[in-house]
Amino acid sequence: VTKLAVVRASPNVIDGSAAQSDLELSADVCVIGSGAGGAVTASVLAAAGVSVLLVEEGGYYTNRDFDMLEAHTIPKLYQESMQRTTADLSIAILQGRAVGGTTVVNWTTSFRTPEDVVDHWAKKHAVGGFKYADLVPHYEAIEARLGIHQVDVQAMNRNNRKLYDGCKAKGWEVGPTRRNVYQCIQSGYCGMGCPINAKRSMLVTLIPDAIDAGAKLLFRARVDKLESAAGEITAARATLLDESGYGVTGKRATIKAKRFVLAGGAINSPAVLLRSGLNENGVVGTRTFLHPVIGSTGLYAEPIEAFVGAPQTAASHAFAHRGDEVGLFLEAAPGYPMLASTALPGHGDAHRKLMESVQRRTVHIAIAIDGFHDDVPGGTVKLRPSGAPLLDYPIPPKIWRAFQFAQKKLAEIGFASGATEVSTLHDPPITMKSEKEIDLIDRARWEPCSVGVFTAHQMGGCRMGDDPQRSVVRSEDLRHHTIKNLWVIDGSVFPTSLGVNPQESIYGLARLMATRLAR
Amino acid sequence: VDRRSFLKKGLLGGAVLALGAGGLALRPGKTIAAPREKLLALDARGFSVMVAVAARVVTAPGADHVAIAHAADLALSHAPAEAQKDLRNLLGLFENALPGLLLDGRATPFTALDPAAQDAVLEAWRDSRLALRRSGYQALRKMCLASYYADPRSWTPLKYKGPPDLGGFAHDDSKAGTPEWLAAQNDKGGTP
Repeated sequence: VTKLAVVRASPNVIDGSAAQSDLELSADVCVIGSGAGGAVTASVLAAAGVSVLLVEEGGYYTNRDFDMLEAHTIPKLYQESMQRTTADLSIAILQGRAVGGTTVVNWTTSFRTPEDVVDHWAKKHAVGGFKYADLVPHYEAIEARLGIHQVDVQAMNRNNRKLYDGCKAKGWEVGPTRRNVYQCIQSGYCGMGCPINAKRSMLVTLIPDAIDAGAKLLFRARVDKLESAAGEITAARATLLDESGYGVTGKRATIKAKRFVLAGGAINSPAVLLRSGLNENGVVGTRTFLHPVIGSTGLYAEPIEAFVGAPQTAASHAFAHRGDEVGLFLEAAPGYPMLASTALPGHGDAHRKLMESVQRRTVHIAIAIDGFHDDVPGGTVKLRPSGAPLLDYPIPPKIWRAFQFAQKKLAEIGFASGATEVSTLHDPPITMKSEKEIDLIDRARWEPCSVGVFTAHQMGGCRMGDDPQRSVVRSEDLRHHTIKNLWVIDGSVFPTSLGVNPQESIYGLARLMATRLAR
Repeated sequence: VDRRSFLKKGLLGGAVLALGAGGLALRPGKTIAAPREKLLALDARGFSVMVAVAARVVTAPGADHVAIAHAADLALSHAPAEAQKDLRNLLGLFENALPGLLLDGRATPFTALDPAAQDAVLEAWRDSRLALRRSGYQALRKMCLASYYADPRSWTPLKYKGPPDLGGFAHDDSKAGTPEWLAAQNDKGGTP
């Protein structure tokens, strides 16, 4: 068992906020970002004896900080304190920001990339550098290291069990999820950092592994740009952030390395390339996918307590494949008070009434699988004048239609599992008292900021492929098409969304590509 | 065509927000409450509007609307500089009588309206045909609600008991994994 406090106190761990002067660091490989992509890459390279410096913008928090209070944990662990949105404010973006990245706050759902998705990339996006079979041994290794295993149906909390029972009653495919936890006590606080280290996030697994193997970690360092000369990256320039992560110290870091791996995720990796002026073919930042989410809440006679228990243990892919229409998958979400209060619509007494029944409410979600249709092109990462990223994601008509379809399916699940009423997250909500009223959904407004839309899965923006005009990195090794010492290894390389929660897809692909890089 | 219509929408949004920033109120607003501590992202005028909005968004008895506005100010200070500026402009627009007059025929600043009229303004923004106004309503209500419901004092009516007592083990970062006594209800899976 790794002693986490010992790892954090290792001389290989450098707190950028405490630096008294500008830092100059060097390594064979500089990995930018310590989430699912960066942590896997750093651990594989370090184990192979490569000197690695892992650079992270977020703070190095451990379960000592994870007090299960949204007020304390969200500013520490989420991008923009969970206020990140798309450009027109219509989609709320839940994305982690810490040593360990989003793996520290995700809800532990673990799926391999569906084989038909990998085949689709080969056929439609010129991804010829690997096959599904190449990924399998890496999924297996990750599953063993992270303790990924299937949930017991009997252990589902009531929020998930209603989704499961409702799908079963309708005859729709549904199953228990797999989770990366060990001796989980089902406290339910995955989204605020696991207080007992039961969640096998990067924070408690591959980052300690990498540091034990000699990797260095610099945290509270935001990489502003990569400097290049003669077709190679020469240095990464970073701003050192203060202890809170929201101010700067005035000090900077310069990192020299033979090779650079960008692993900042689907919004921050494109932003680093754009700030560095590295977008010759105009592809960087485009085709950013979000798995856009809508929600539904059923009201039951008995307590549901969606804030207690493992948050996401049931999933249905019954509607994932809909031909010319956008497919969706169905899952549950936790009802933490602050998160629930912003998701439930309205204000004043009407909102208060909804909150007073929150203990008897489910929170079920439908997740749109974007990127598989020509008229669902995803969003585009741009830069604000300050250099901070801004994602423009106009929701296309086809996704609105898919939402309308899925909203009815979620309502059917509610009534089939005993709900006395089901409401949408429109503002004001559409509330149905029985299955007969489901067609009310057709009269709802389906346009930006008339209904709550969320994303917890950001993908694309630096897509892989073998056509240098249509992609950013090569699919055989995720190396940049023209810059010989730059790789991108994270969720930004996916040419489409995935149709499943992304963490294991990132782990598996990163492990395959880091293994190739280490050779 | 899509690109042009987006550009048009964007420009309109910018122009409307600029009206908010212009300080063109026909009648002065009321100072609802002065800040209790140093403001981080809002100005004093915007803070006063935020307190007034909080009073309509959070109607639970005993809610401290000045504290809510301070928590919203803190959260806003965690957003990018451009988003902070947009929100300051939005609060100006919300308060300002001139855009109110142009869009709703309202000549009184938001802070000087009675509660029923304030609710009518909030609902007009919520139901507006302009995406910008709908987004403004959502931004303001979410900031107030998140600030209020993050506070454990708001939880009793929710029947949410708050975090469980995990004894001395939780928050001890010298250990990984879970001791047997705590794992009594575990889902029995996984490997170390």
